[in-house]
Amino acid sequence: MAGLQDIRRRIRSVKNTQQVTKAMKMISAVKLRKSQERLVALRPYASKLMEVVRRVVGRIKGDAEIQPGPIAQSFLSPREEQNIRLVLVASDKGLCGGFNANVLKAATAFAAECPAKIAHLDVVGKRAAEWARKHKLTAAGEYLNIPLTGLQRVVTEISASAAAQYQAGEIDALYIIYNYFNSPMSQTPTVFRVFPMDLDRRSEGRHATEVSHLLEPDPNSVLETLLPRFVETELLRNLLESSASEHGARMAAMDKASNNAGEMIAKLTLTMNKIRQASITNQIIEIVSGANA
Amino acid sequence: MSQSIKLEVVTPERPVFSAEVAEVQFPTASRGYYGILPGHTPVMTEVGDGLLYYIQEGQKHYLTVFGGFAEVGPDHVTILARESETMDMIDLERAEASRQRALKLLKEAQTEHDIQTAQAKLNASLIRLQAAGHPAGHGF
Repeated sequence: MAGLQDIRRRIRSVKNTQQVTKAMKMISAVKLRKSQERLVALRPYASKLMEVVRRVVGRIKGDAEIQPGPIAQSFLSPREEQNIRLVLVASDKGLCGGFNANVLKAATAFAAECPAKIAHLDVVGKRAAEWARKHKLTAAGEYLNIPLTGLQRVVTEISASAAAQYQAGEIDALYIIYNYFNSPMSQTPTVFRVFPMDLDRRSEGRHATEVSHLLEPDPNSVLETLLPRFVETELLRNLLESSASEHGARMAAMDKASNNAGEMIAKLTLTMNKIRQASITNQIIEIVSGANA
Repeated sequence: MSQSIKLEVVTPERPVFSAEVAEVQFPTASRGYYGILPGHTPVMTEVGDGLLYYIQEGQKHYLTVFGGFAEVGPDHVTILARESETMDMIDLERAEASRQRALKLLKEAQTEHDIQTAQAKLNASLIRLQAAGHPAGHGF
Protein backbone atom coordinates (compact mmCIF):
# COMPACT_ATOMS: atom_id res chain seq x y z
CA MET A 1 0.00 0.00 0.00
CA ALA A 2 1.14 3.50 -0.91
CA GLY A 3 2.37 5.67 1.90
CA LEU A 4 0.54 8.68 3.28
CA GLN A 5 2.97 11.07 1.64
CA ASP A 6 2.46 9.57 -1.81
CA ILE A 7 -1.30 9.82 -1.56
CA ARG A 8 -1.12 13.42 -0.41
CA ARG A 9 1.08 14.18 -3.40
CA ARG A 10 -1.35 12.51 -5.77
CA ILE A 11 -4.30 14.40 -4.39
CA ARG A 12 -2.45 17.64 -4.91
CA SER A 13 -1.61 16.79 -8.51
CA VAL A 14 -5.16 15.73 -9.30
CA LYS A 15 -6.39 18.98 -7.79
CA ASN A 16 -4.07 20.95 -10.04
CA THR A 17 -5.32 19.07 -13.08
CA GLN A 18 -8.87 19.72 -12.02
CA GLN A 19 -8.17 23.42 -11.85
CA VAL A 20 -6.79 23.36 -15.36
CA THR A 21 -9.76 21.45 -16.76
CA LYS A 22 -12.18 23.72 -14.94
CA ALA A 23 -10.50 26.79 -16.42
CA MET A 24 -10.55 25.24 -19.88
CA LYS A 25 -14.21 24.49 -19.48
CA MET A 26 -14.94 28.12 -18.62
CA ILE A 27 -12.92 29.38 -21.57
CA SER A 28 -14.70 27.01 -23.91
CA ALA A 29 -18.03 28.13 -22.56
CA VAL A 30 -17.20 31.73 -23.40
CA LYS A 31 -15.89 30.83 -26.85
CA LEU A 32 -18.89 28.64 -27.47
CA ARG A 33 -21.16 31.54 -26.68
CA LYS A 34 -19.31 33.76 -29.15
CA SER A 35 -19.42 31.21 -31.97
CA GLN A 36 -23.01 30.44 -31.25
CA GLU A 37 -23.95 34.11 -31.30
CA ARG A 38 -22.39 34.51 -34.73
CA LEU A 39 -24.09 31.38 -35.94
CA VAL A 40 -27.44 32.56 -34.67
CA ALA A 41 -26.85 35.99 -36.20
CA LEU A 42 -26.03 34.45 -39.56
CA ARG A 43 -29.08 32.21 -39.64
CA PRO A 44 -31.70 34.83 -40.56
CA TYR A 45 -29.42 36.10 -43.31
CA ALA A 46 -28.77 32.61 -44.63
CA SER A 47 -32.41 31.60 -44.63
CA LYS A 48 -33.51 34.84 -46.33
CA LEU A 49 -30.81 34.42 -48.92
CA MET A 50 -31.87 30.84 -49.52
CA GLU A 51 -35.45 32.02 -50.03
CA VAL A 52 -34.38 34.68 -52.51
CA VAL A 53 -32.15 32.27 -54.45
CA ARG A 54 -34.94 29.76 -54.64
CA ARG A 55 -37.35 32.34 -55.99
CA VAL A 56 -34.96 33.59 -58.63
CA VAL A 57 -34.03 30.09 -59.71
CA GLY A 58 -37.69 29.14 -59.82
CA ARG A 59 -38.40 32.12 -62.02
CA ILE A 60 -35.59 31.32 -64.41
CA LYS A 61 -36.43 27.65 -64.63
CA GLY A 62 -40.09 28.47 -65.16
CA ASP A 63 -39.34 30.80 -68.03
CA ALA A 64 -38.00 29.06 -71.10
CA GLU A 65 -36.97 32.34 -72.68
CA ILE A 66 -34.30 33.04 -70.12
CA GLN A 67 -31.07 31.18 -70.74
CA PRO A 68 -28.98 30.94 -67.59
CA GLY A 69 -25.52 32.43 -68.07
CA PRO A 70 -22.29 30.48 -67.58
CA ILE A 71 -21.86 31.26 -63.88
CA ALA A 72 -25.42 30.37 -63.06
CA GLN A 73 -25.05 27.16 -65.03
CA SER A 74 -22.00 26.19 -63.08
CA PHE A 75 -23.68 26.57 -59.72
CA LEU A 76 -26.89 24.87 -60.67
CA SER A 77 -26.41 22.10 -63.17
CA PRO A 78 -24.41 19.11 -62.00
CA ARG A 79 -21.89 17.44 -64.27
CA GLU A 80 -20.60 13.95 -63.78
CA GLU A 81 -18.30 14.15 -60.79
CA GLN A 82 -14.80 13.15 -61.74
CA ASN A 83 -12.72 15.68 -59.89
CA ILE A 84 -13.92 17.24 -56.71
CA ARG A 85 -12.66 19.79 -54.29
CA LEU A 86 -12.94 18.95 -50.63
CA VAL A 87 -12.81 21.24 -47.64
CA LEU A 88 -12.12 19.42 -44.40
CA VAL A 89 -12.83 21.30 -41.22
CA ALA A 90 -11.42 20.12 -37.88
CA SER A 91 -9.87 21.99 -34.97
CA ASP A 92 -6.40 23.32 -34.19
CA LYS A 93 -6.24 21.95 -30.69
CA GLY A 94 -7.13 18.65 -29.11
CA LEU A 95 -8.76 17.94 -25.76
CA CYS A 96 -12.22 18.10 -27.23
CA GLY A 97 -13.47 14.54 -26.95
CA GLY A 98 -14.47 12.83 -30.16
CA PHE A 99 -14.73 16.05 -32.13
CA ASN A 100 -11.73 15.53 -34.39
CA ALA A 101 -11.82 11.74 -34.38
CA ASN A 102 -15.41 11.70 -35.63
CA VAL A 103 -14.99 14.20 -38.41
CA LEU A 104 -11.75 12.61 -39.56
CA LYS A 105 -13.34 9.18 -39.56
CA ALA A 106 -16.08 10.59 -41.77
CA ALA A 107 -13.41 12.07 -44.03
CA THR A 108 -11.60 8.74 -44.31
CA ALA A 109 -14.85 6.98 -45.18
CA PHE A 110 -15.70 9.66 -47.72
CA ALA A 111 -12.28 9.48 -49.35
CA ALA A 112 -12.54 5.68 -49.59
CA GLU A 113 -16.06 5.55 -50.98
CA CYS A 114 -16.12 8.57 -53.22
CA PRO A 115 -15.66 7.48 -56.86
CA ALA A 116 -14.35 10.88 -57.88
CA LYS A 117 -10.77 12.00 -57.50
CA ILE A 118 -10.06 14.61 -54.88
CA ALA A 119 -8.36 17.13 -57.10
CA HIS A 120 -8.01 19.85 -54.52
CA LEU A 121 -8.02 19.53 -50.76
CA ASP A 122 -8.37 22.39 -48.32
CA VAL A 123 -7.81 21.78 -44.66
CA VAL A 124 -8.99 24.03 -41.86
CA GLY A 125 -7.32 23.34 -38.52
CA LYS A 126 -4.11 21.54 -37.54
CA ARG A 127 -5.81 18.23 -36.95
CA ALA A 128 -7.17 18.22 -40.48
CA ALA A 129 -3.71 19.02 -41.83
CA GLU A 130 -2.25 16.11 -39.86
CA TRP A 131 -4.94 13.82 -41.25
CA ALA A 132 -4.03 14.86 -44.79
CA ARG A 133 -0.36 14.15 -44.15
CA LYS A 134 -1.15 10.75 -42.68
CA HIS A 135 -3.21 9.81 -45.71
CA LYS A 136 -0.54 11.04 -48.10
CA LEU A 137 -2.75 13.73 -49.53
CA THR A 138 -1.31 17.10 -50.32
CA ALA A 139 -3.44 19.92 -49.05
CA ALA A 140 -3.42 22.76 -51.53
CA GLY A 141 -4.85 25.17 -49.00
CA GLU A 142 -3.99 25.07 -45.31
CA TYR A 143 -5.85 27.33 -42.94
CA LEU A 144 -4.40 27.04 -39.45
CA ASN A 145 -5.13 28.97 -36.30
CA ILE A 146 -7.92 30.99 -37.86
CA PRO A 147 -9.68 33.23 -35.36
CA LEU A 148 -13.42 33.62 -35.49
CA THR A 149 -13.12 36.97 -37.22
CA GLY A 150 -10.84 35.54 -39.90
CA LEU A 151 -13.36 33.01 -41.15
CA GLN A 152 -14.91 35.44 -43.60
CA ARG A 153 -11.62 35.86 -45.43
CA VAL A 154 -11.09 32.10 -45.66
CA VAL A 155 -14.56 31.70 -47.06
CA THR A 156 -14.07 34.38 -49.67
CA GLU A 157 -10.79 32.83 -50.79
CA ILE A 158 -12.13 29.30 -51.05
CA SER A 159 -15.34 30.18 -52.83
CA ALA A 160 -13.69 32.49 -55.35
CA SER A 161 -11.01 30.00 -56.31
CA ALA A 162 -13.46 27.08 -56.34
CA ALA A 163 -15.77 28.93 -58.70
CA ALA A 164 -12.86 29.69 -61.01
CA GLN A 165 -11.76 26.05 -60.93
CA TYR A 166 -15.25 24.88 -61.71
CA GLN A 167 -15.44 27.10 -64.74
CA ALA A 168 -12.05 25.97 -65.92
CA GLY A 169 -13.31 22.38 -65.66
CA GLU A 170 -10.75 21.41 -63.03
CA ILE A 171 -13.36 20.41 -60.48
CA ASP A 172 -16.95 19.23 -60.83
CA ALA A 173 -18.16 19.78 -57.29
CA LEU A 174 -17.23 21.35 -53.98
CA TYR A 175 -17.73 19.31 -50.83
CA ILE A 176 -17.22 20.22 -47.23
CA ILE A 177 -16.87 17.88 -44.26
CA TYR A 178 -17.49 19.43 -40.87
CA ASN A 179 -19.20 18.91 -37.54
CA TYR A 180 -22.80 19.97 -37.55
CA PHE A 181 -23.79 21.73 -34.35
CA ASN A 182 -26.84 20.04 -32.85
CA SER A 183 -26.36 21.37 -29.37
CA PRO A 184 -23.39 22.10 -27.12
CA MET A 185 -23.41 18.44 -26.11
CA SER A 186 -23.86 16.83 -29.49
CA GLN A 187 -22.24 17.21 -32.90
CA THR A 188 -22.69 15.21 -36.05
CA PRO A 189 -19.97 14.88 -38.68
CA THR A 190 -21.59 15.95 -41.92
CA VAL A 191 -20.66 15.77 -45.59
CA PHE A 192 -22.24 18.58 -47.55
CA ARG A 193 -22.12 19.45 -51.23
CA VAL A 194 -21.85 23.20 -51.51
CA PHE A 195 -22.26 23.34 -55.28
CA PRO A 196 -23.66 22.40 -57.76
CA MET A 197 -26.49 23.03 -55.41
CA ASP A 198 -29.47 20.95 -54.83
CA LEU A 199 -32.27 23.46 -54.56
CA ASP A 200 -35.14 21.19 -55.49
CA ARG A 201 -34.62 18.85 -52.60
CA ARG A 202 -34.66 21.68 -50.09
CA SER A 203 -37.56 23.56 -51.58
CA GLU A 204 -40.19 20.85 -51.40
CA GLY A 205 -43.66 22.12 -50.74
CA ARG A 206 -42.74 25.77 -50.92
CA HIS A 207 -43.86 26.60 -54.41
CA ALA A 208 -47.34 27.67 -53.38
CA THR A 209 -46.19 31.00 -52.00
CA GLU A 210 -44.25 32.02 -55.08
CA VAL A 211 -44.71 35.58 -56.29
CA SER A 212 -43.14 36.60 -59.53
CA HIS A 213 -40.65 39.38 -58.95
CA LEU A 214 -39.24 41.81 -61.41
CA LEU A 215 -35.57 41.05 -61.57
CA GLU A 216 -33.54 44.13 -62.22
CA PRO A 217 -31.48 44.89 -64.24
CA ASP A 218 -32.15 41.38 -65.64
CA PRO A 219 -32.63 37.87 -64.25
CA ASN A 220 -29.23 36.62 -65.26
CA SER A 221 -27.14 39.32 -63.71
CA VAL A 222 -29.15 39.08 -60.51
CA LEU A 223 -28.57 35.34 -60.36
CA GLU A 224 -24.90 35.67 -61.18
CA THR A 225 -24.23 37.99 -58.29
CA LEU A 226 -26.57 36.11 -56.00
CA LEU A 227 -25.14 32.62 -56.35
CA PRO A 228 -21.51 33.26 -55.35
CA ARG A 229 -22.85 35.10 -52.31
CA PHE A 230 -25.00 32.13 -51.48
CA VAL A 231 -22.03 29.76 -51.72
CA GLU A 232 -20.01 32.03 -49.45
CA THR A 233 -22.76 32.20 -46.91
CA GLU A 234 -23.19 28.44 -46.85
CA LEU A 235 -19.46 27.94 -46.38
CA LEU A 236 -19.36 30.51 -43.62
CA ARG A 237 -22.29 28.86 -41.93
CA ASN A 238 -20.56 25.49 -42.05
CA LEU A 239 -17.33 26.90 -40.62
CA LEU A 240 -19.23 28.54 -37.81
CA GLU A 241 -21.09 25.31 -37.11
CA SER A 242 -17.76 23.58 -36.81
CA SER A 243 -16.35 26.26 -34.53
CA ALA A 244 -19.37 26.15 -32.25
CA SER A 245 -19.21 22.35 -32.26
CA GLU A 246 -15.55 22.40 -31.31
CA HIS A 247 -16.07 24.59 -28.29
CA GLY A 248 -19.17 22.64 -27.31
CA ALA A 249 -17.26 19.38 -27.52
CA ARG A 250 -14.35 20.78 -25.54
CA MET A 251 -16.67 22.13 -22.91
CA ALA A 252 -18.35 18.74 -22.54
CA ALA A 253 -14.99 16.93 -22.42
CA MET A 254 -13.58 19.31 -19.84
CA ASP A 255 -16.72 19.08 -17.74
CA LYS A 256 -16.35 15.32 -17.68
CA ALA A 257 -12.67 15.62 -16.85
CA SER A 258 -13.40 17.96 -13.95
CA ASN A 259 -16.03 15.56 -12.63
CA ASN A 260 -13.68 12.63 -12.92
CA ALA A 261 -10.99 14.55 -11.10
CA GLY A 262 -13.50 15.31 -8.35
CA GLU A 263 -14.34 11.64 -8.01
CA MET A 264 -10.72 10.68 -7.93
CA ILE A 265 -9.99 13.23 -5.23
CA ALA A 266 -12.85 11.85 -3.14
CA LYS A 267 -11.54 8.30 -3.52
CA LEU A 268 -7.97 9.24 -2.73
CA THR A 269 -9.04 11.26 0.30
CA LEU A 270 -10.94 8.25 1.60
CA THR A 271 -7.90 6.01 1.18
CA MET A 272 -5.72 8.61 2.80
CA ASN A 273 -8.03 8.87 5.81
CA LYS A 274 -8.13 5.09 6.13
CA ILE A 275 -4.35 4.87 6.14
CA ARG A 276 -4.07 7.66 8.65
CA GLN A 277 -6.64 6.01 10.89
CA ALA A 278 -4.87 2.68 10.53
CA SER A 279 -1.56 4.17 11.59
CA ILE A 280 -3.18 5.91 14.58
CA THR A 281 -4.86 2.65 15.62
CA ASN A 282 -1.53 0.89 15.25
CA GLN A 283 0.19 3.40 17.45
CA ILE A 284 -2.50 3.12 20.13
CA ILE A 285 -2.26 -0.65 20.05
CA GLU A 286 1.48 -0.38 20.44
CA ILE A 287 1.14 1.95 23.44
CA VAL A 288 -1.58 -0.15 25.05
CA SER A 289 0.28 -3.41 24.55
CA GLY A 290 3.45 -1.72 25.83
CA ALA A 291 1.63 -0.55 28.98
CA ASN A 292 0.13 -4.01 29.48
CA ALA A 293 3.50 -5.65 29.24
CA MET B 1 -53.40 47.49 -48.76
CA SER B 2 -51.29 48.08 -45.74
CA GLN B 3 -50.09 51.57 -44.99
CA SER B 4 -46.63 50.56 -43.89
CA ILE B 5 -43.70 48.49 -45.07
CA LYS B 6 -41.77 46.08 -42.96
CA LEU B 7 -38.14 47.02 -43.48
CA GLU B 8 -35.60 44.37 -42.58
CA VAL B 9 -31.87 44.82 -42.96
CA VAL B 10 -29.72 41.79 -42.23
CA THR B 11 -26.00 41.21 -42.67
CA PRO B 12 -24.03 38.02 -42.15
CA GLU B 13 -22.82 39.53 -38.88
CA ARG B 14 -26.15 40.45 -37.34
CA PRO B 15 -29.69 41.54 -38.01
CA VAL B 16 -29.28 45.32 -38.23
CA PHE B 17 -32.76 46.70 -38.39
CA SER B 18 -36.33 45.49 -38.41
CA ALA B 19 -39.43 47.67 -38.04
CA GLU B 20 -42.54 48.99 -39.74
CA VAL B 21 -41.76 52.14 -41.73
CA ALA B 22 -43.68 54.45 -44.06
CA GLU B 23 -41.13 54.85 -46.82
CA VAL B 24 -37.72 53.50 -47.79
CA GLN B 25 -35.09 54.62 -50.23
CA PHE B 26 -31.99 52.56 -50.97
CA PRO B 27 -29.13 52.65 -53.48
CA THR B 28 -28.98 49.95 -56.16
CA ALA B 29 -25.89 48.74 -57.95
CA SER B 30 -26.99 49.64 -61.44
CA ARG B 31 -30.07 51.84 -61.39
CA GLY B 32 -29.55 54.62 -58.93
CA TYR B 33 -31.80 55.02 -55.91
CA TYR B 34 -35.06 53.16 -55.47
CA GLY B 35 -37.76 54.82 -53.43
CA ILE B 36 -40.28 52.35 -52.07
CA LEU B 37 -43.77 53.14 -50.80
CA PRO B 38 -46.34 50.64 -49.56
CA GLY B 39 -47.85 48.60 -52.37
CA HIS B 40 -44.76 48.51 -54.53
CA THR B 41 -44.56 45.83 -57.20
CA PRO B 42 -42.30 42.89 -56.25
CA VAL B 43 -38.72 43.55 -57.32
CA MET B 44 -35.42 41.91 -56.66
CA THR B 45 -32.21 43.78 -57.31
CA GLU B 46 -28.62 44.20 -56.30
CA VAL B 47 -27.86 46.82 -53.67
CA GLY B 48 -25.05 49.31 -54.17
CA ASP B 49 -22.97 51.20 -51.61
CA GLY B 50 -24.52 54.24 -50.04
CA LEU B 51 -27.09 55.60 -47.67
CA LEU B 52 -30.47 54.07 -47.11
CA TYR B 53 -33.15 56.18 -45.52
CA TYR B 54 -36.50 55.25 -44.06
CA ILE B 55 -39.29 57.39 -42.73
CA GLN B 56 -40.79 56.35 -39.45
CA GLU B 57 -43.38 58.50 -37.66
CA GLY B 58 -42.53 61.42 -39.91
CA GLN B 59 -38.84 61.22 -39.04
CA LYS B 60 -36.13 60.46 -41.56
CA HIS B 61 -33.48 57.99 -40.42
CA TYR B 62 -30.35 56.81 -42.20
CA LEU B 63 -28.53 53.51 -42.43
CA THR B 64 -25.41 52.72 -44.40
CA VAL B 65 -25.49 49.76 -46.76
CA PHE B 66 -22.63 48.19 -48.69
CA GLY B 67 -23.54 45.72 -51.40
CA GLY B 68 -25.94 42.82 -51.23
CA PHE B 69 -29.49 42.21 -52.37
CA ALA B 70 -32.87 43.74 -51.91
CA GLU B 71 -36.16 42.00 -52.15
CA VAL B 72 -39.15 44.30 -52.38
CA GLY B 73 -42.77 43.24 -51.93
CA PRO B 74 -46.02 45.19 -51.48
CA ASP B 75 -45.65 45.16 -47.70
CA HIS B 76 -42.00 44.45 -47.07
CA VAL B 77 -38.44 45.34 -48.05
CA THR B 78 -35.73 42.89 -47.15
CA ILE B 79 -32.15 44.00 -47.59
CA LEU B 80 -29.48 41.34 -47.42
CA ALA B 81 -26.50 43.61 -47.12
CA ARG B 82 -22.86 42.63 -47.16
CA GLU B 83 -22.35 45.28 -44.52
CA SER B 84 -24.70 47.74 -42.93
CA GLU B 85 -24.68 50.05 -39.93
CA THR B 86 -27.09 52.18 -38.01
CA MET B 87 -26.01 55.66 -37.00
CA ASP B 88 -24.94 54.71 -33.51
CA MET B 89 -22.69 51.93 -34.81
CA ILE B 90 -20.57 54.36 -36.81
CA ASP B 91 -17.36 55.41 -35.19
CA LEU B 92 -16.68 58.92 -36.49
CA GLU B 93 -13.01 58.91 -35.57
CA ARG B 94 -12.41 55.60 -37.23
CA ALA B 95 -14.22 56.68 -40.37
CA GLU B 96 -12.20 59.90 -40.51
CA ALA B 97 -8.95 58.00 -39.96
CA SER B 98 -9.89 55.55 -42.67
CA ARG B 99 -10.66 58.45 -45.03
CA GLN B 100 -7.21 59.89 -44.44
CA ARG B 101 -5.64 56.48 -44.97
CA ALA B 102 -7.59 55.96 -48.19
CA LEU B 103 -6.53 59.39 -49.50
CA LYS B 104 -2.92 58.56 -48.78
CA LEU B 105 -3.25 55.16 -50.47
CA LEU B 106 -4.83 56.81 -53.46
CA LYS B 107 -1.87 59.16 -53.83
CA GLU B 108 0.61 56.33 -53.61
CA ALA B 109 -1.34 53.91 -55.78
CA GLN B 110 0.67 52.36 -58.60
CA THR B 111 -1.53 49.84 -60.35
CA GLU B 112 -5.13 50.01 -61.48
CA HIS B 113 -6.00 47.52 -58.76
CA ASP B 114 -4.46 49.71 -56.03
CA ILE B 115 -6.42 52.68 -57.26
CA GLN B 116 -9.65 50.74 -57.21
CA THR B 117 -9.16 49.40 -53.68
CA ALA B 118 -8.22 52.84 -52.39
CA GLN B 119 -11.19 54.38 -54.15
CA ALA B 120 -13.54 51.81 -52.63
CA LYS B 121 -12.12 52.49 -49.17
CA LEU B 122 -12.48 56.21 -49.65
CA ASN B 123 -16.08 55.78 -50.78
CA ALA B 124 -16.94 53.64 -47.80
CA SER B 125 -15.46 56.13 -45.35
CA LEU B 126 -17.20 59.04 -47.07
CA ILE B 127 -20.55 57.27 -46.90
CA ARG B 128 -20.07 56.68 -43.19
CA LEU B 129 -19.05 60.30 -42.59
CA GLN B 130 -21.99 61.57 -44.59
CA ALA B 131 -24.34 59.35 -42.63
CA ALA B 132 -23.02 60.75 -39.40
CA GLY B 133 -23.44 64.30 -40.69
CA HIS B 134 -19.71 65.05 -40.76
CA PRO B 135 -18.73 67.97 -43.03
CA ALA B 136 -16.15 65.89 -44.97
CA GLY B 137 -18.96 63.61 -46.12
CA HIS B 138 -20.74 66.36 -48.00
CA GLY B 139 -18.06 66.69 -50.60
CA PHE B 140 -19.15 63.25 -51.71
